[in-house]
Amino acid sequence: MDDIDAMFSDMLQEMDLLTQSLGAEAESAPLPKPPSIPAPQEMNFSIGFTDLNASLHEMEDNDLDALMADLVADISATEEKFATDRDTSKGSAPFAPIPIQPQSNFGLPVSTDTSKPATSSNSIAAPPPPPASKPSKEEQEEQIKADKIKLALEKLKEAKVKKLVVKVEIMDGSSKTLMVDERQTVREVMDQLFEKTHCDCNVDWCVCETNPDLQTERGFEDHENLVEPLSTWTRDTENKVVFLEKKDKYEVFRNPQLFYMWKKDKKSLMDMKEKDKEQLLEENFCGASIIVPDLEGILYMKEDGKKSWKQRYFLLRASGLYYSPKGKTKASRDLVCLVQFDNVNVYYCKEYRNKYKAPTDHCFILKHPQIQKESQYIKYLCCDDELTMTLWVTGIRIAKYGKQLYENYKAAVRKAAGTGSWANRTIQASSSASTPSPTPKAKAANGHAPQLPKDTKGPGNQTSFPPPPPSMETLPPPPPDPMLPPPPPAPPASTTKVNKFSPPTRFPQSSFPPPPMDDLPPPPPPPEDAELPPDFLPPPPPSFPPYGGDSLPPPPPDPKTLHLQVELHHLHPHPRLHHQLLHRQPNHPPAPSEKCLQLHQRELHLYKQRPQVANSCQN
Amino acid sequence: MASWDLSVSVEELGSEAPPLKVSVTSDLHIGGVILKVVEKSQIKRDWSDHALWWEQKQQWLLKPSWTLDKCGIHADARLFLTPQHKPLRLLMPNAISVRLRVCFSSPVFRTVMGICKLLNIRHPEELSLLWPVEGKKKKKDKDVETEVYDITCSPLPSSTILKLANGMPAFYAESPETEAVYKMLAVSQPPPAPETIAKMYQTTNVMEKAQINSRWLDSSRSLLQQGVKENDKLQLRFKYYSFHDITPQTDVVRLTQLYEQARWAILLEEIECTEEEMMVFAALQYHIGKVSLTEQFVASSPAMDDLDSALQCLEVKMEGESSADDMLETMTAPELHDYLKIFRPKRLTLKGYKQYWFTFKDTTISYYKSKEESSKEPIQQMNLKGCEVAPDVSVAGQKFCIRLLIPGPEGMNEVYLRCEHEQQYSRWMAACRLASKGKTLADSSFSSEVQSIQSFLAMQKTTPSNNTAQTDESINTHSLVSPRYQKKYKPKQLTPRILEAYQNVAQISLTDAIQKFLQIWQALPDFGLSYIVVRFKGCRKDEVLGIANNRLIRIDLSVGDVVKTWRYNTMRQWNVNWDIKQVAIEFDGNVNIAFSCVTADCKIVHEYIGGYIFMSTRGREQSDTLNEELFHKLTGGHEAL
Repeated sequence: MDDIDAMFSDMLQEMDLLTQSLGAEAESAPLPKPPSIPAPQEMNFSIGFTDLNASLHEMEDNDLDALMADLVADISATEEKFATDRDTSKGSAPFAPIPIQPQSNFGLPVSTDTSKPATSSNSIAAPPPPPASKPSKEEQEEQIKADKIKLALEKLKEAKVKKLVVKVEIMDGSSKTLMVDERQTVREVMDQLFEKTHCDCNVDWCVCETNPDLQTERGFEDHENLVEPLSTWTRDTENKVVFLEKKDKYEVFRNPQLFYMWKKDKKSLMDMKEKDKEQLLEENFCGASIIVPDLEGILYMKEDGKKSWKQRYFLLRASGLYYSPKGKTKASRDLVCLVQFDNVNVYYCKEYRNKYKAPTDHCFILKHPQIQKESQYIKYLCCDDELTMTLWVTGIRIAKYGKQLYENYKAAVRKAAGTGSWANRTIQASSSASTPSPTPKAKAANGHAPQLPKDTKGPGNQTSFPPPPPSMETLPPPPPDPMLPPPPPAPPASTTKVNKFSPPTRFPQSSFPPPPMDDLPPPPPPPEDAELPPDFLPPPPPSFPPYGGDSLPPPPPDPKTLHLQVELHHLHPHPRLHHQLLHRQPNHPPAPSEKCLQLHQRELHLYKQRPQVANSCQN
Repeated sequence: MASWDLSVSVEELGSEAPPLKVSVTSDLHIGGVILKVVEKSQIKRDWSDHALWWEQKQQWLLKPSWTLDKCGIHADARLFLTPQHKPLRLLMPNAISVRLRVCFSSPVFRTVMGICKLLNIRHPEELSLLWPVEGKKKKKDKDVETEVYDITCSPLPSSTILKLANGMPAFYAESPETEAVYKMLAVSQPPPAPETIAKMYQTTNVMEKAQINSRWLDSSRSLLQQGVKENDKLQLRFKYYSFHDITPQTDVVRLTQLYEQARWAILLEEIECTEEEMMVFAALQYHIGKVSLTEQFVASSPAMDDLDSALQCLEVKMEGESSADDMLETMTAPELHDYLKIFRPKRLTLKGYKQYWFTFKDTTISYYKSKEESSKEPIQQMNLKGCEVAPDVSVAGQKFCIRLLIPGPEGMNEVYLRCEHEQQYSRWMAACRLASKGKTLADSSFSSEVQSIQSFLAMQKTTPSNNTAQTDESINTHSLVSPRYQKKYKPKQLTPRILEAYQNVAQISLTDAIQKFLQIWQALPDFGLSYIVVRFKGCRKDEVLGIANNRLIRIDLSVGDVVKTWRYNTMRQWNVNWDIKQVAIEFDGNVNIAFSCVTADCKIVHEYIGGYIFMSTRGREQSDTLNEELFHKLTGGHEAL
């Protein structure tokens, strides 16, 4: 027990120290180089986690208000929780000042330094149930200590969780702000977005990242964590997170024949029966191993470091993307591997005819997610037409993610079916200013965020740009109305960006009054707050690391990148595929195998009627 | 009714002995004939397995109640009284021969069921027997002869379910010899010598691959009917590439044999793969070989399963209790410190390696001018999460470098770290690999990672000096790849490439490794295709028909390309004309094709198509009952009637 005691007090001391140092840092936040962040030296390998802190300064007041409300709610909940914990444990050992930081520093708690302690309410272990029989004093003490250790550990663990504030803009220029922690998948983030936007929750909704430097777009897969890829963005990035419908996201599961029987006549494929499609999916996605579409054909590839594009015969295999070198056959042994998919993602590209003199505009690239700028490590490929590009990109996704993709689709379908009716209801309800929302977080956000269109960008661009892409024709987005306080009820798509444009000094820290949370004991908990809803979103830790204050003022937003926000939508929704989708009618013939059987039995009767001449040849 | 003499030879009297003459009438049934013959032979023994074989008609007389008249037997018939079960040498998928008693009188399908029951392989419908390759056999026969495992002593498989003892069918547990047999069946074999592969290897084109399929036995006729004799050698293979309901606990032998068949198919290039895929296969073979040596063959009887799960529960419980302490331990994350040399080809091409003081913490490498300055700001920090790690090692040259490709916004940054010696290298290399996957030094796999790197280095060390040595620690990497790559690369070049692939699989368990091997095998584009040379109606040249579990493909021999694909679910009917040996198939949309078979009997094609359709009818619920009747209906052709 002494060991544990000693260890525990050590830990508490450490936490204490850290808290103090954090406080010190917070005071000196505007300093260019906080000690915890390695200054970029010869080569900057450290990824700009801290840079994201700066992003919040870009936010509009209303966003900040909403977020602030969330945070305060979280913190007070934490405090109360903690107080109850303290009460139950009746600890004699004094708790070190729990590292709850003043909120003056409105930055992101994203940090590479994982040892920074912070508290948060949602994962704190529930206080132990009171022992039924009266245990001995020693046992009791032991129990208390163990509990305290557990509690502290939980807190430390929670403090390690990275969180990001992501701003999601919608196509009409409005935006949503979300707190995303690193354990959340894109699926969960989308569920949050569905709640906030009241859209129809269909399976095509997709969270995408766009990169204006590379002119790329990639839809995150539903099982991915959102924080990880966003953490690799550079501080001065103009990348955005876009929330929109993309017809090609799960097209392979609705019309697998287009991908698995692509060689066949397109017209005949359109008439495929639902039953046959199901069988195709079963064959390719439900076996022991995923079968990747047997894509092959001529693509253009940009030579390494050169400007020219060369034609090569490419083949897709589960193990990677291959091409057959000049003068060789396309036998497996002669193939050259261009890239394997373990470490790269596939991105759609836009306007590469201009940018890289590509033969067509139907290009895609393969790159490591961390690469953000032009590099020799990016593989540039170009297809003859859009359908081919969709085939290859989808094929590569299947090769990379395998069965997971199918799982994602099934989950999305379940979600769409489950929430369809609910979404419809809320669309009507949302005309009132306060939107009913199940989580306190969403409530706060909606209540505080009368989504004014982004001052210079949203409406300005919206009006000066071409109409929405064909896929949107069925559901024209309502024009953004700056006069209405609540967000437009069901925007068909939303544009998002993590805003990190402005220099961190734009919002002085003092403008946000710190909540008085520093001193112990915390205020007594109001009874109704003692229990948090189980699905409560992970609140941010109340302590904030200081900014990596040495940020240079980023370049002013390039008007070109703003085009992207809108025009990218042209890229993806595949008009042809979409069309097919709309006219699909389910059909239910008997199972094919059964059919074969029956027919063969008919055959067997034929055999019977034949004279048994064959006997002689067989025996 | 007039009686007449029927001559019956009895095997037990020897082949030289004249046939026994028994006086019979035409209304005597077969059972009666056997009784008379047995009485006359005056041999006392168990005759229950014996049956009459009618030599001229190549036919068994298995229905004891049928009269001679009904069978059509007259005085000129020569009958043999012979046991139905006889020993056969069976070449397993793992290239090892087993001698065992099999049924010579029932259809091969039923015989295979018996064999699989004896060998503890579920789903016997997926396997079948075929004649071994002719030629080249003489030399091999001798050395194979020595390692034949004999289980002819086994009881004949009865209809009752075999009892398990120590995780194997009871009779294997009876003696050390039989236990060794079961171990051979259930544990994958060590990698074969490169020479063995080279000897068996033949450059194969589609035409030659098609020859393999001409050797399948007819599953609706008995062995004796097809000219198989006692002690003949046959191969047992998975024939239908549609493996139903594989569960690692109950399918130990099945999985192992399937893996062995896949491994040989890849080593002998019966199925083609790319160089990258070959390296992954090699790495998995290496891993499986290594793990099967250490991981003891685990018994899995139901009782043991219970015990296992109970133990696991207990473990979890204890883990839960001690988690606080564990977490405390991980709070003080282990670190690595050393003087290493660093080199960046991009920036300082001329300068070469420079020495710094390096520390490895979490997933980050930092370096300082010297140990004394390690408390100050590092010169640089590199977060290795998501980076690519490759070895650049030459044991002979005492060069231990780690090549890192670290992604950054601008592209990948190439960094070389040079270590002084093996131990240092394996520690840093293991740390880099874990970090690239986002794991820290505190991860439990660190020490095993270090060990696997060291054993791989040891492998490199021994191969140049003595090629023949095949100890546990070192294997020749040449025995993991097909002869094409044996020629292309020296072991020295091959080892790092396999090591690179190995780092992704080094931590997985034996069954996972085997399943991964099978998965990658099944994902190959040509997987599951059985080729047969055919001539399409109206065509003048031979073409190849590929039969898979869901489709037929037509391959143009001159180009080697797939010209056409037909899927079974669009098939309306198929029809075999046994006289002109032509298969005609009708598909939806009035598509008709007809072809005659060149390399194989059209019964084999018929059986393949019907067999695959049978395989597709298997549902999850009826997993252990086999609808034999349906199989024969689909594959038997006129025989089934």
